[in-house]
Amino acid sequence: MSRKLLAGVSLLLSLAATGVHGQAPSLGVANARQVVGAPKGQPLAGVALEAEAKRVALLLRCPVCQGLSVFESPSSMALNMRGQVRELVAAGYDEDQVLRYFERSYGEFVRLEPPLRGMNWVVWLAPIGGLVLGGFVVAWALRKPKAAAAPETSATLDDDPELQPYLLRVRELAYGWPAGVKPEDSRR
Amino acid sequence: MNKRVLAVGGLVTLPLVGLLLMSLGHDPHRVDSPLIGQKAPAFTLTPVGGGAPVSLESLRGKPVVLNFWATWCAPCFEEHPALTQAARAMAGQAHFFGVIYEDEEEQVEGFLKEQGSAYPSLLDDAGKTAIAYGVYGVPETYFVSPDGVIVEKYVGPLTPKAITALVAQASAR
Repeated sequence: MSRKLLAGVSLLLSLAATGVHGQAPSLGVANARQVVGAPKGQPLAGVALEAEAKRVALLLRCPVCQGLSVFESPSSMALNMRGQVRELVAAGYDEDQVLRYFERSYGEFVRLEPPLRGMNWVVWLAPIGGLVLGGFVVAWALRKPKAAAAPETSATLDDDPELQPYLLRVRELAYGWPAGVKPEDSRR
Repeated sequence: MNKRVLAVGGLVTLPLVGLLLMSLGHDPHRVDSPLIGQKAPAFTLTPVGGGAPVSLESLRGKPVVLNFWATWCAPCFEEHPALTQAARAMAGQAHFFGVIYEDEEEQVEGFLKEQGSAYPSLLDDAGKTAIAYGVYGVPETYFVSPDGVIVEKYVGPLTPKAITALVAQASAR
């Protein structure tokens, strides 16, 4: 008997609690409304809410960790932020609104992926630019040796007059050229 | 040929050296608060030990010092006397409030009984106010102008001199 009464009272209390919650949005939602306006999406619940809350929490950087998302970090701050993301997503705030809400407090730093604007273009384009530039450098380096190969043998002979007699003697001994001069060269 | 290598090398290296020089002396862990110069996020929070909830809206007309702290934080312990003294000295000129960051109410009550207190500390459910203010850790103190705009954020333990200067800065706005 008393157990039924207790159940009834607790049901009434929980209904009253949800009623109060419905009238006055929580502090986080009220703040979000001030910053990013009314929710743009549909309120979510159940599996859809959990999936969307996880997806958005993965895009937010935990401010007290090293490169971890709010979803992955075990810190209590990340836990609080995760709770707030869930609350905002449940109220119908979309990804962009949730990110902008946190960005107002923590700056762009809170986004794990830097948005494509301002100096951030460099972050996105520099790797591609580097790859293209590297390709040119490699192509240039591979082309070089062929061009430089030709004028070698005759250059040394004229370069150093002191070495010339020795060089001619070596050629005479090695190739049997008279006086070390190539026969067709001497004819010219 | 050497001149060309030098030119290409310079073209690649000089911007990088420039970037390095530009970043020297810049602490990569320091992120300036985007909230400075913006309207302070609203809150309505219950004081430790009970009492009527305090809302930021109700504090208009005087500068507000909002100190996020916790009993487990050593620098907070260090700055507590400075804040208490300043709050007593500036009673009537500025509002001082503590906001509890990741701590238990009983712990805070015990701490305040032991160390003394000159202003209310507010309970922040699930850290929502801390998140709205972009708090990274404690202690962090926000100085809000009489018309509700964040004038400065101070990271680390406050000194009496800093409090006086920043309250003056907040009321001058």
